[in-house]
Amino acid sequence: MSATVQLKAEPREKVGKGAARAARRSGLVPAVIYGDKKDPRSISLTIREVEKQLESGHFLNTIYEIDVAGEKSRVIPRDYQMHPVKDVPMHIDFLRIAKGARLVVAVPVAFQNEDSSPGLRKGGVLNIVRHEIEISAPADAIPSEIAVDLTGLDLGDSLHISAVTLPEGVTPTITDRDFTIATIAAPAGLKSEGEEDEEGAEPGEVPAMHGGDEEEAGEE
Amino acid sequence: MLQPKRTKFRKQHKGRIHGVATRGVTLAFGSYGLKTLEPERITARQIEAARRAITRHMKRAGRVWIRIFPDVPVSKKPTEVRMGKGKGAPEYWAARVKPGRIMFEIDGVGPEIAHEALRLGAAKLPVRTKVVSRIGE
Repeated sequence: MSATVQLKAEPREKVGKGAARAARRSGLVPAVIYGDKKDPRSISLTIREVEKQLESGHFLNTIYEIDVAGEKSRVIPRDYQMHPVKDVPMHIDFLRIAKGARLVVAVPVAFQNEDSSPGLRKGGVLNIVRHEIEISAPADAIPSEIAVDLTGLDLGDSLHISAVTLPEGVTPTITDRDFTIATIAAPAGLKSEGEEDEEGAEPGEVPAMHGGDEEEAGEE
Repeated sequence: MLQPKRTKFRKQHKGRIHGVATRGVTLAFGSYGLKTLEPERITARQIEAARRAITRHMKRAGRVWIRIFPDVPVSKKPTEVRMGKGKGAPEYWAARVKPGRIMFEIDGVGPEIAHEALRLGAAKLPVRTKVVSRIGE
């Protein structure tokens, strides 16, 4: 289970894109706290603190206690936006956690014992189908990661959710099928050699038209 | 090389590339990706050259995903032809990319090999790029 992390935030008086941009210019990340049948609260956090939490890799499944001018709230980040080019945080949504609440969260998968997998030792590739698994868990018992054991997996084998032991009270949200988490694929070298480099059509070849292609004939 | 299987029209307007990418800006498949920092047309040949450079450095281990597709036909007039008399013949296919777009993703190799493979692939492309990795990698 992830431990509760303390965060300090300042209340944000003005909302809207102008105020949010002004906050970003001064090294802050605008954020909002909502939920638990209370009014939403606009806040801002320091960019350094946010980046540190994002780099942990468990940002979306960690419970935070945010101190906004002395008022503490237990929250979980629900979403965050990054700048598409600069990769800096733009905005964060925090959800207040009610007492005894159950939450749906995406928890990262941690692959263990790669050395004990005969398939990977033969040069196979771990093809990760799901980097995260969406689970439903009590707010106080959200796992920080889901450990997946690769022991004994050979080439062509796949690992499904049924092979994973989830902590007590934790259930996957997908229950209608035994979904795949990862497969051990044969490396490209074991497949037919040179098949990859010779794919595709001749350069400059024009594909067939959907309709008639003679409409623009005789123009050259 | 990548190109559409069939198209509704043979030729397209040149167009302009405005703004930043809003889709295809996060890693979806692999652990490492190559993100463009500039708007540009990437030709099918450039995509193929970058893909070869990446896979060769990875020594055919791991996996490569190409997240862009050249669906824009680019026409060209023959040499020594006077202006006018209609648009030239389709010459090659290109993908329009906006800043922030992830063009390639790779997985199944270590960080050193991944960074070097993407650096070599980036050298085949007409844009400034940066290597991005999954948070926690």
